[in-house]
Amino acid sequence: MVVAGSHKYVSLARASLEVILTYRLSFLMNVIGTVFYVIAMFYLWRTIFGGNSAALGGFTWLEMKGYLLVAFLMNSLLTWYDEFMIGRGIREGEVASDLVRPLDFQTSRFAQAVGPVPTELATALLVAMAVAFAFGGVALPPDPVYAAVFVVSAALATLIKFGLIFCVAMGAFWTTGLYGLTTGRIAVQGVFSGALIPLAFFPDWLRAISAVLPFQGTVSTPALIYLGKVDGTAMLAMVAVQAAWAVGLIVLGRLIFRRAVRAVTIHGG
Amino acid sequence: MAARWRAVTRPIYLYFRLLGQQMKAIMAYEADFVIYAGSAVLVQLVGFIFIWTIFQRIPTINGWTMWEVVMMYALIFLTEGVGSLFFEGTWGLARLVYTGKFDSFLLRPVSPILQVVTADVGLNGLGNIVTGFILIGLSVTHVSLEWTPGRIAMLAIAIVSASAIRVAINLGTAATVFWTRSPWSSVPMFVHQLGDFAKYPLTIYSLGVQVIIVIAIPFAFVSFFPTAVVFGESPWSLPGLLTPLVAIYTVVLAVVIFRVGLRRYEGAGN
Repeated sequence: MVVAGSHKYVSLARASLEVILTYRLSFLMNVIGTVFYVIAMFYLWRTIFGGNSAALGGFTWLEMKGYLLVAFLMNSLLTWYDEFMIGRGIREGEVASDLVRPLDFQTSRFAQAVGPVPTELATALLVAMAVAFAFGGVALPPDPVYAAVFVVSAALATLIKFGLIFCVAMGAFWTTGLYGLTTGRIAVQGVFSGALIPLAFFPDWLRAISAVLPFQGTVSTPALIYLGKVDGTAMLAMVAVQAAWAVGLIVLGRLIFRRAVRAVTIHGG
Repeated sequence: MAARWRAVTRPIYLYFRLLGQQMKAIMAYEADFVIYAGSAVLVQLVGFIFIWTIFQRIPTINGWTMWEVVMMYALIFLTEGVGSLFFEGTWGLARLVYTGKFDSFLLRPVSPILQVVTADVGLNGLGNIVTGFILIGLSVTHVSLEWTPGRIAMLAIAIVSASAIRVAINLGTAATVFWTRSPWSSVPMFVHQLGDFAKYPLTIYSLGVQVIIVIAIPFAFVSFFPTAVVFGESPWSLPGLLTPLVAIYTVVLAVVIFRVGLRRYEGAGN
């Protein structure tokens, strides 16, 4: 039954991927644009490490490069564009016909968001390899176990990110300023996910705040696992926390959606 | 004489009238205004946290202190704010051309550039301008400087010039739509992202990047050189004195690109 029903979502995902491929120049420009940020970060951290091999905040320069690239990779999967698309559907009333269809609203949006992920992933990997090459190589996972757990963790990170994006996009039911909300989401996520700077660099109070928020699961957790900075039960616990946040945020998104639809139904008769 | 004076004042009057109308339209959505301005403040706060965290670990980056880097960062966001609040329309040029709305601009007896820049208002700009000024204020008060009238004038000129360069880059790159006919602002966005390099001292980059942001797209004159001038950091303060000239140059260049593009657009039978 699950398999029989899932093909509808697969075609939604494929259609969404095709849209991206049609406008590939525009997509490519967007990706290359984000590369400047990564390159600037590499120069900045190279200067900070100053060519010496001493660790800073528990990271060597080689590890830092690996961390920056994993952060870049995670940031490339699902973007503001997904919030924009969900929000536009709500604002322009498409949501009304979505409600009539025999499809789950959140699952449909998820399918459309992950459809382009293969392209996002491939381009980001290509860019990451080019940058890694230009800056003299990066640290790789110290053993295949870390690599395998990293893949699981990265997948969960993408689920958490979708959960966040979906919740924020629900804002479109109440405001036309969704892009502002998205900007805010990206800013807050940048700090507390460890995307801007590894959480280990933070003072204790800032690290304590990051620990109780879902954001660290989107970048910091997969990056630390990639570098083999945690192991054994600690690593598994981190992955479990990610899974819990993914489920929690997706359920939260469903609750908000249900509430919003009720409001819309009342207003619209 | 009076006619010549009118030729100067008329566009300025029109600019504020046109922009005022957009402001009114947008202010109708009060909550949006709060959200956009708030998100801009949040973005800058995050940038500040980043710089602050780094400088908790190391005293200087290539000899640049924290408040100098904060100044560079603030100038990038302040000028971005000026672009959003007063000249946001450049970002919509691609869409205007694509949908054909741009043609109606050509029928009116008002400069098309004036109409394009006033076609939209980005209220997030207000958040960026206010926070930008606060960060610049914090920055200059944390470094012991002698506030001679000359230095104050330099700071003012630096801010105005940096904003002009930023807006000129937006306008000049937006005008590429006359050639590309893309419905999106891909080229302007692409160039805009180069500004990420200018958030940090020029000296951390290798020659290739330096050439790009000093000569090709002069982002270094938006943040790095003005900062060097205000803080008197030689030898960088010397080329920094060129900032107003670079501003004039980029504005003239942007207007020329726009006019050439426009002629091409009209020539194509539109």
